[in-house]
Amino acid sequence: MTGAPEGRVRLTVLGGYLGSGKTTWLRHQLHEGRFKGAHVIVNEAAETPVDDALLGQSSKLTVLSGGCVCCTAKAELVALLRQLCDEKSSGKALDQIVLETSGLADPGPIVEAIKTDPVLVYHIVVSDIVVVVDALHALAQLKSEPLGRKQIETADRLIVTKIDEAGEGALKTLLATLQLLNPGARISGAAKGVEQPLPDFAGVAPEVLPDLSGEAPKAPITPTRLYIDDTIDWTAFTVWLSALLHARGGDIVRVKGVVRTPAGRLLLQTVRKVVQSPEILPEQGDTREDNMIVVIGRGYTSGQLKRSLKYFAGR
Amino acid sequence: MCSACGFPAAPGHWTEAGAPTAHDRLRAKFRRAEVLQNVLPAYGLKVFEGGAIPGIQLSTMTGAQAIVRDLDEVWAMAEKVSGGPVDPLDPRFIGEE
Repeated sequence: MTGAPEGRVRLTVLGGYLGSGKTTWLRHQLHEGRFKGAHVIVNEAAETPVDDALLGQSSKLTVLSGGCVCCTAKAELVALLRQLCDEKSSGKALDQIVLETSGLADPGPIVEAIKTDPVLVYHIVVSDIVVVVDALHALAQLKSEPLGRKQIETADRLIVTKIDEAGEGALKTLLATLQLLNPGARISGAAKGVEQPLPDFAGVAPEVLPDLSGEAPKAPITPTRLYIDDTIDWTAFTVWLSALLHARGGDIVRVKGVVRTPAGRLLLQTVRKVVQSPEILPEQGDTREDNMIVVIGRGYTSGQLKRSLKYFAGR
Repeated sequence: MCSACGFPAAPGHWTEAGAPTAHDRLRAKFRRAEVLQNVLPAYGLKVFEGGAIPGIQLSTMTGAQAIVRDLDEVWAMAEKVSGGPVDPLDPRFIGEE
């Protein structure tokens, strides 16, 4: 993988709950030659780093310890990313960055920190949010930890680890639960970092998760496909989406898709209320899904979204 | 900071992507005002776009005026004026009562 078409560095955020197997998975990916040329940043909430010793495979590695980058150590992360961008501007090769977060991090604020920083927004694009899920303990964590659910809801890819040790019934229930929490994410399995096939879990009932927010029970998150037809122009669409995220950002977890504009094909992606500056994609490649936006959230129907968008566009 | 308009140089708002030339940008500004004018009066705000200054000019029904930088500030201002956010899924926009 190389840098983004317009020269921004791709950043992969690797998250997942404490002990879910993030480092093991990343170490195997590096061993297999994925994330080539990547600068790896490892964040540990504890003062004493251990993960860096495990990640000897990577030639460029920085450890941020003593705070979580989504909250207490956010400034350190921004400073480090700015330094990497500075070095790239002076000619040092940098294709991509992999950020392994601490087990306590919510990927949302990290994306927001990059997007709101006046320097980083020009240099870095978050290309992928990978969240590692522990097949043995995730169901218990999801029942008690709101953070675990937040991590899963924001993911583009979910890697279920330790599947060789988990019972098949429990694994299927976990997979069905993950699909309910984040229907838009691609799910794959791994054991000690090596990719493993997943069992078929069609028709398996997901685990009923207790409400942890203290508010009224919320509807499950569902993906809605929204087609931007010729009557909807990009400007009307952005006015509509910015209002929707302002009013309903808590319920709209993700919006993703490629929209055709006068500037070309724009890749649009949001994490809760935060919208990344859209990336211009090359004209080639698979264009069949252009103008199809996936909205992942709760509290509305597909028909309501369509009618509301048409009203804003004045059609 | 721009000495004429007082706005600091900030990266463009995401909604301003998609307009590569100055012509496209001006056209998008007029179109944005048209779309906003379709929505904001219900929340006690009017939009004016002369194409000459950066930002979005808003006025209330009592004549108070403000220039805001981008759409995020428009929605924040509308929420302040009307006491609730502009919700695109409000029944008035989706034709459900």
